[in-house]
Amino acid sequence: MTEQAFDKIVVLDCTDGIAGAYCTKLLADFGANVIKIEKPGKGDTTRRMGPFLNDEPDKEKSGTFFYLNTNKKSITLNLESETGRILFLKLVAKADVVVENFAPGKMSALGLSYESLTKKNPKIIMTSITGFGQTGPYRDYKATNLVTFGLSGAMYTSRPATHTSSRPVVEGGRQAEFTTGLLSFSATVAALTNRIDTGKGTWIDMSAQECLASTLGANISEYPYLGLSRKTNPFAIHGYPIGYSVPCKDGWISLTPGLGGAPNIPLLIEKPELLEDPFFTKPAARMAEPEKFDALLTPWLKEHSKWDITKQAQELKLAFTPVLNPGELEEDEQLKAKGFFVKTQHPVMGEVTYPGAPFRLSETPARVGKAPLLGEDNETIYRELGFSKENMVTLIEQGII
Amino acid sequence: MAYELMKGTRVLDLTMVFAGPVSSRILASLGAEVIKIESAVRPDVFTRGNVYPENDPGTEPWNRGSLFHSLNAGKLGITLNLGTDKGRDLFKRLVKISDVVMENYSPRVMENWGLGYAELKKIKPDIIMASMSGLGHTGPLKDFYMYVPGMEGMSGLTHMTGYTDEPPMLSGFSYGDWTSGGTSAAAILTALYHKKSTGQGQFIDLAGREALIANVGNIIMDYTLNKRVENRMGNDQPYAAPHGCYRCKGEDNWVNIAVENDEQWTGFCKLIGNPDWCKSEKFGNSLNRWQNRADLDKLVEEWTLKQDKFEIMASFQKAGVPAGAVLNMKEVNLNSQLIERGFFNVIDHGEGIGERPIPTQLPAKYNNKDSFIPARAPKFGQDNKYVFGKLLGISNEELSTLEAEKIIGGAPSFPPGRPTRLNLIEAQGAGQIDANYLNELREKYKKDIGTKGTAKSDPK
Repeated sequence: MTEQAFDKIVVLDCTDGIAGAYCTKLLADFGANVIKIEKPGKGDTTRRMGPFLNDEPDKEKSGTFFYLNTNKKSITLNLESETGRILFLKLVAKADVVVENFAPGKMSALGLSYESLTKKNPKIIMTSITGFGQTGPYRDYKATNLVTFGLSGAMYTSRPATHTSSRPVVEGGRQAEFTTGLLSFSATVAALTNRIDTGKGTWIDMSAQECLASTLGANISEYPYLGLSRKTNPFAIHGYPIGYSVPCKDGWISLTPGLGGAPNIPLLIEKPELLEDPFFTKPAARMAEPEKFDALLTPWLKEHSKWDITKQAQELKLAFTPVLNPGELEEDEQLKAKGFFVKTQHPVMGEVTYPGAPFRLSETPARVGKAPLLGEDNETIYRELGFSKENMVTLIEQGII
Repeated sequence: MAYELMKGTRVLDLTMVFAGPVSSRILASLGAEVIKIESAVRPDVFTRGNVYPENDPGTEPWNRGSLFHSLNAGKLGITLNLGTDKGRDLFKRLVKISDVVMENYSPRVMENWGLGYAELKKIKPDIIMASMSGLGHTGPLKDFYMYVPGMEGMSGLTHMTGYTDEPPMLSGFSYGDWTSGGTSAAAILTALYHKKSTGQGQFIDLAGREALIANVGNIIMDYTLNKRVENRMGNDQPYAAPHGCYRCKGEDNWVNIAVENDEQWTGFCKLIGNPDWCKSEKFGNSLNRWQNRADLDKLVEEWTLKQDKFEIMASFQKAGVPAGAVLNMKEVNLNSQLIERGFFNVIDHGEGIGERPIPTQLPAKYNNKDSFIPARAPKFGQDNKYVFGKLLGISNEELSTLEAEKIIGGAPSFPPGRPTRLNLIEAQGAGQIDANYLNELREKYKKDIGTKGTAKSDPK
């Protein structure tokens, strides 16, 4: 069996939704024993979030839940009950990390503050993920992916280069949540590494607003130097709005002539007579009349497919690349060669293919594994805590597990 | 926010521009000693030479760029020409005393120099080497020329961004580069944990595009499970309505409102004064609201147009309805929540630049750990003496010889510093410009932003 980085680490995942689950998914995929603690009966919110296998809404058929919870175990436990709290603290005693995303103050109200956890386990690391952090005037504000996008500044910059006064648009998917999960993972791993030397745990306070704002550090820093707030991508003024999507025969390509100019474009579009045309030698000329520049390219692009254009352009050292849709990735030759997508078996969903890990480690690669059924590991884990089958029936009857 | 959790870790950073520097900035803000390696023939031109204080490139533009300051705070800076045998020998000596080497050259460059992972491992068996690229270190397309539009476009993210009937959209903030860098830091930290527990190093293959695909994995599942391709949908979120970005009073002011359930809908109606349309059956339950969201959005915007975005946010949040102003960069820099929590470090960048707020790259607050304020981003070659002299024990005499031989030192080959074309940005409507920014910052931060400039280059 291949070794994984976090083989010996036990994580209690009391989060709900995407950000916390992505943080603990990375820990689990790289070896940690992650026990997801879900509400009895309902389970995690993402179990009710599509896409569902065959569009059948079922808590064991959500693709979102599956993707975010690979390689984890699941137990059900009602943290709001006194017995639930006691059981949780028993688990804490044997754990290394607790990740939670309750509203600020809620863990304390449940008698599960960081201080109370350290009494059971002085070395515990607790990672608290919220919209705005545990302190400050927005502490009790409600965050969603969209709200976080606005309050981090990211949304203001997200407009097409050619329509900079138009309505801002949020990045596709749930980027605020994934980014928060990614940074929470890094913050937690740093604490685990530090603990090897110091023997001490810590409480980590993560704010989604800050996580997303840190992704646009470069944009944010233009204000204290110049008073500038960009409304679109920063490449827009470098001579041509690079990187925007232009239509071709079978979809779109990202047109990126590069910052210095686009001398090879005439060769690509089979118009060598344009080699000396200012449009292709002087960025300023393109900038002055972007529609005219587009009109020179569009007819040729519309006759060619995105991969045909890309391969020819790459031969000419032009950074043109296809805009791929989520359905074009599984068959992508590069991803196939790298073995990016992975497959596993699930008792309800059958064989499931999912996107692999975001990074590759040569000696401790990510493992492949399914997401857990709701409460799948109750028996094993509560037995380890010393509960007999009869005790467990009582706990179930009381709605604790 | 910066904490000394990874103190004692040494990182050799050969990366340039955005993604790589983000990654090493995260490590530096955890207390790792990051040595940024440039050379006179290969300075980090793009970020060093952009967006100068008060738009003045000065006589050493390479030490004044805001992007460089933001992305490289807390690192050491040396110059070393790896195109020479002697330069590579010095690099190998540094590898011997380091934990991590990071690079984002095109594949093969490091191998051609005899500095591939297999070679570095011979010099330092437990070295961690991170290679960052667009599409990865292996595979048929590994040599593609691409920048952030390529990474975003080939990940599915661009396809998913934008309004349904409009073209797919590139992010406005080089998100793909950041994600590549943020994910690289996660990978390196994982490898460092493993190294600390077992003594084993390893090779990291970081493809920016794969990092981005992981962030849209939930969407891709619709294809792997149902062979259905999801499409971009603007600011919509299935079965949530009203859910979107609405225009407010004033120029280019917007608020996000995200009503996700019936309880929030009731709260929303009350907040806007329960107009008759709120009682319409068209909007009576979440399914109806979702189906009639185009009509609903118009009605909501008729109301928001007359309101202040901050007032909407405050009153909605008080009532438990998720809403947030869309902040521009000025409003982010002056945001009380971010400032109060220490998201910005006010860093003194020395003469002619002074103190400016620099955002954190790893915004984690550790409750019982020592924090520090990162040093300013390094001036070009400022730490040669410390790194070559103190760490490698090279005498001053030898250092002078190396300088004369152009192995280290020298001025960067650098295009003339050009001011940002603010007039063009304004003409294109590509940005908002606030001439009073220094005063705004001084008032908010209670510091003499932009004037003091006492810090010298201050080599270690």
